[in-house]
Amino acid sequence: MEQSSSMWVDEAIWGHRLYDEQLPWFVFLEFLNVFTHEDDKGRAFDEQGKPNELKYRAAHRLYLRNILFNNPHLPEIRLSYPNDTNRWDEWSRRMKSAATGLNHPEFGFLKDHFHSFEDFCEVVSLVRSTSLEVNSNKRWTSKFVFPYGRGCLYEDLDNSASTNDRRFFGRTGEMLYLMLCRTPRKQELLAALKERLAKTDSTWDSIVRCLQPTADEDISSERANAFLPYLSHPCFDDLADDWLALLRLKIPGFDVYPHLVNLAGLHMVKYQLTVSRQLLGAATPLALICEVVAPKKTLVREVSCDLYQSNNLLPAQAVETFIANVEKSEEWQRAITESGAFEKCRRILKQRVRWGEDYDGPSDAGELISRLRQDAMKRHRQHVANIHRNYGREIGLVSRRGTVKLRYAPTDSLLKTLLFANVEKRIELHQFLARLHTRYGLVFGDKEAEQVLSKDEFDKKAFQGNSRRLEQRLGSLGLLRRLSDGCAYVVNPYHTEVQ
Amino acid sequence: MSTWLRFLRHYGPVPRNDNMYDETIQRSARRQGIAPIEFEHPYQRRIEDCFNQATADPVSVILTGTAGDGKTHLCRQVWKALQGKDEDWASDNPYLTINFHYPKDRQKWPDFEEPGLYRSVKIHFIRDLSGWAPQQGAEWDTDKEALLQKFCYSLFNAEAEELFLIAANDGQLIEAFRRLKDTDAVKKARRVFEDLLVEDRQEQAGVRLKFFNLSRASSAELFDRAIEKFLTHPGWDELKQGVPGENDVFGPKCPIRHNYELLGTPLVKARLRSLLELCDYNGLHVPVRQILLLLSNAVLGHPDASQHLMLPKDVPKIIAAGTVSKASLYNNIFGSNLSDIRRQSITIFDFFERFQIGYETSNRVDNLLIFGEDDDHLGNYFKTFIEQDSFYGADDRFYAAKHEYIEGTSEDEDKDKEFLDMLVAQRRGLFFKIPKEVEQELKLWELTVFKFAGEYLDEIVDVLKCGAVVKRPLVSRLVKGLNRVFTGMLINSDRELFLATSGNYSQAKVSRILVECVSVEPSKGEKVILRFDPSSGRVLLSVFFAPDNFVDFNLTLIRYEFLSRISMEGALPASFSKECYEDLLAFKSQLIAAYVKRQAKEEAPVSSTIALTLLSLTEQGTPDPRAVEMMP
Repeated sequence: MEQSSSMWVDEAIWGHRLYDEQLPWFVFLEFLNVFTHEDDKGRAFDEQGKPNELKYRAAHRLYLRNILFNNPHLPEIRLSYPNDTNRWDEWSRRMKSAATGLNHPEFGFLKDHFHSFEDFCEVVSLVRSTSLEVNSNKRWTSKFVFPYGRGCLYEDLDNSASTNDRRFFGRTGEMLYLMLCRTPRKQELLAALKERLAKTDSTWDSIVRCLQPTADEDISSERANAFLPYLSHPCFDDLADDWLALLRLKIPGFDVYPHLVNLAGLHMVKYQLTVSRQLLGAATPLALICEVVAPKKTLVREVSCDLYQSNNLLPAQAVETFIANVEKSEEWQRAITESGAFEKCRRILKQRVRWGEDYDGPSDAGELISRLRQDAMKRHRQHVANIHRNYGREIGLVSRRGTVKLRYAPTDSLLKTLLFANVEKRIELHQFLARLHTRYGLVFGDKEAEQVLSKDEFDKKAFQGNSRRLEQRLGSLGLLRRLSDGCAYVVNPYHTEVQ
Repeated sequence: MSTWLRFLRHYGPVPRNDNMYDETIQRSARRQGIAPIEFEHPYQRRIEDCFNQATADPVSVILTGTAGDGKTHLCRQVWKALQGKDEDWASDNPYLTINFHYPKDRQKWPDFEEPGLYRSVKIHFIRDLSGWAPQQGAEWDTDKEALLQKFCYSLFNAEAEELFLIAANDGQLIEAFRRLKDTDAVKKARRVFEDLLVEDRQEQAGVRLKFFNLSRASSAELFDRAIEKFLTHPGWDELKQGVPGENDVFGPKCPIRHNYELLGTPLVKARLRSLLELCDYNGLHVPVRQILLLLSNAVLGHPDASQHLMLPKDVPKIIAAGTVSKASLYNNIFGSNLSDIRRQSITIFDFFERFQIGYETSNRVDNLLIFGEDDDHLGNYFKTFIEQDSFYGADDRFYAAKHEYIEGTSEDEDKDKEFLDMLVAQRRGLFFKIPKEVEQELKLWELTVFKFAGEYLDEIVDVLKCGAVVKRPLVSRLVKGLNRVFTGMLINSDRELFLATSGNYSQAKVSRILVECVSVEPSKGEKVILRFDPSSGRVLLSVFFAPDNFVDFNLTLIRYEFLSRISMEGALPASFSKECYEDLLAFKSQLIAAYVKRQAKEEAPVSSTIALTLLSLTEQGTPDPRAVEMMP
């Protein structure tokens, strides 16, 4: 169990932890680091009967990262030094002093891989062009090469490139890994994932390896303390089903990755909202009313904005309920009637939510728990509360397009992901809409809207228009086959006949 | 005298267009003593042959398609061919049966009429499945359900002794069978219908069914047949034989008469046909019902008439009011006589609207219309096309508005708008008046959104259909357009097809890593050609990697236009760019997959190096590939 002194409220509800600054691509990268390590140990997706005891190490690959992301010299050297030898020499000289995090930087190995400095520059620019966050203003230690293979995996590091400060690898990838450990289909998933990884073109991994010395064994110390509170959850199973569906399609090469990333993000959002609603005892299922962006304001947009707002508040309400539940607990209720109530209550909180050590307010149980409430809400708002918005926007579910308010308005890329995960070969459009509703709570058409909205909110025409626009969009993506009035098929072009 | 015109009106966009339904038209034709407009559907012979002596071992038939495709009409033809009684057909029952004799020897018909050689087969006609099946949400009637179960069973069992002819819209077909109980046969049948529908096939091995999707018939071919019967209908003869006064219906000033005559001119017919043909090549199917609606509206349309269609009694009033020009055939073809909402709800006008005829224009055309009168060069054209057209050309209103537009000082926007509306009408007129010979000079097709549509029909479709080869520069242009999309760079190369990727994403906007160059001219099994596929009626762009390894791309009009514009102008026309762009990226993925398939057959080179070819362009847009090598 985590020994850190920080509060354990969000973590107790959702896990350690949902972290908004770790956007879905980074969740995926962190996941790949964990997965590869565990797979090497022969225990991928297997917690071996000891939940939440995951321990793994991740590579650092600082030669590669210095060359790609901490190396602004190449164009200038190419211009100022005409001779190939001089170029290499000058560059090595500069790198020796500028490279960070390496004990005895020695870049001579590169010459064994490249015919010329020029070739080297071309390859660096090429690998950079497909890297993640390469044009953002993130620190160089938080830029990532595209995960072409194992030679491309490493963990996020602090400014001095010495340790993972959990700035962008905030353990959400570990949670993703644990979720997949806890679904009944994990064996199938393991096989599909390994097959997919084995099938990808190894050229790019080899190229990236050319930018690293053969003996770059620099590896992190043991990473531990991953935590996911549920031993099973329908959300985990849905995630696994979706990943499996995608991994089995014949999508070329690495094209499947963005979809896996989208799904990881979507399921994290869904998990957070679902767990919140469970805690709140909500009777109705989750509903995300999606607008297919219309040129003018529509009723669908209004409803979607409203629902977005209320969903956005769910996690905070869950935190409040969680604390209220502590207060209502038999243990607490007994403690406040006994002598030494304050100390007893304080002990309860230390035990349950690891909080209270630094409390310096009045020695009153009521004051104590109301301070906890304040502190917990403050902490919640900093990161965990933003998952719905940040992940939602990142995967293309949430958008402000055409308005000032946020609402659910899926992008083409997310629509594709959903279609690939949910349509085996082809299904009728209305069946597709029904499926999106049952599986994710996504609402596009009038039939689904009628089930989730009250009579005065529901406008049949507006939602029919919405699904008509969806139909046009899917058509323009080449994913829909319209036959005639009232009959359209959604088609998955990457479908493979199951043998 | 005018019964015919009143009858004709019922084909038009009136709320109760009874003539649109085969059931009702037969009745009203009998009642009024007028022959309906009837012609042989292109599929008719093939469908009849499924039941007559052309086959000794008949199988069931499904006729599907969209509303107005002629399903009931074709059922009736089969009924007649099987000697079914007219009065039975005239009943309201959507379900009829008939017995017919087929030979016991399923290989061929015997040469004589010996009854012992024949077996009696019961044929079930469900001529309107949606009228016969229960309403949505209601339960199946036991008998009906049993009948459809029997049908499903018969599809997979050769010994089944009963046949079915079922007509249904495709949506209703799928819907009705989905609501049946899930027996094995039903499940199999559903799967078959879906496959046949989506994959556009007529039959499936091992299934005793022929499946005709009438929505796959060529709209242009239907148009040819429809306009022929429309123009030669006896109803017109009666009108022509009369001796009407100057202002009477079918008199010299009558717009109905003029529209009818215009519609009969080869040029108007040809242009209209082109539009329908282009709809076909864009994958838009126009049903028979819509073609007849178009023709009826073209002749009778007038925005001021009741229901926007002229009756004989309206004609003298319209002439007196001086609003003959509003009955312009050229506007009626686009449904301009109707309200916006009404027009937009009608398939054919929706399709035609996509050409934007009247709104698209070129400087040359607008110069002709606005300044052509006094222009040395354009003067003749103005005279022929505008001045001499006493019905729909320049009238006093036009000249006055034009003068006001050019010289006027008034800031009255309404007046300008009036003139601009007139220009729309005149441009539409020009589209049907500019003869083939000056099509190029006046840039006829710039009057539509598809600048390259004329070229597409003349230089691609017609050339390929008669087995000839498309001109080299046109192929080169397409290849250049493809190269620009495939690489994301303004590349000017057109002798080879450049397949490039970005390394991690096959759909990336810019792709710098060259995978392969495919020769356009035939070389070692590689080639890029255009061809016509008669079975689907499509133009295909085929890229060959080897004689037995190629990828086809359906070169629709819209894709042709897109590639041509990218190639000539470099820019992506925003209006239809996204769809085409996505299609082309998908095409690139298929090409790369085909390339990989070819390479897999080659022995993998034993090489200790990794070689990449990086693509960049010179200032002239010539590709400048650069090889980079690494030694892992």
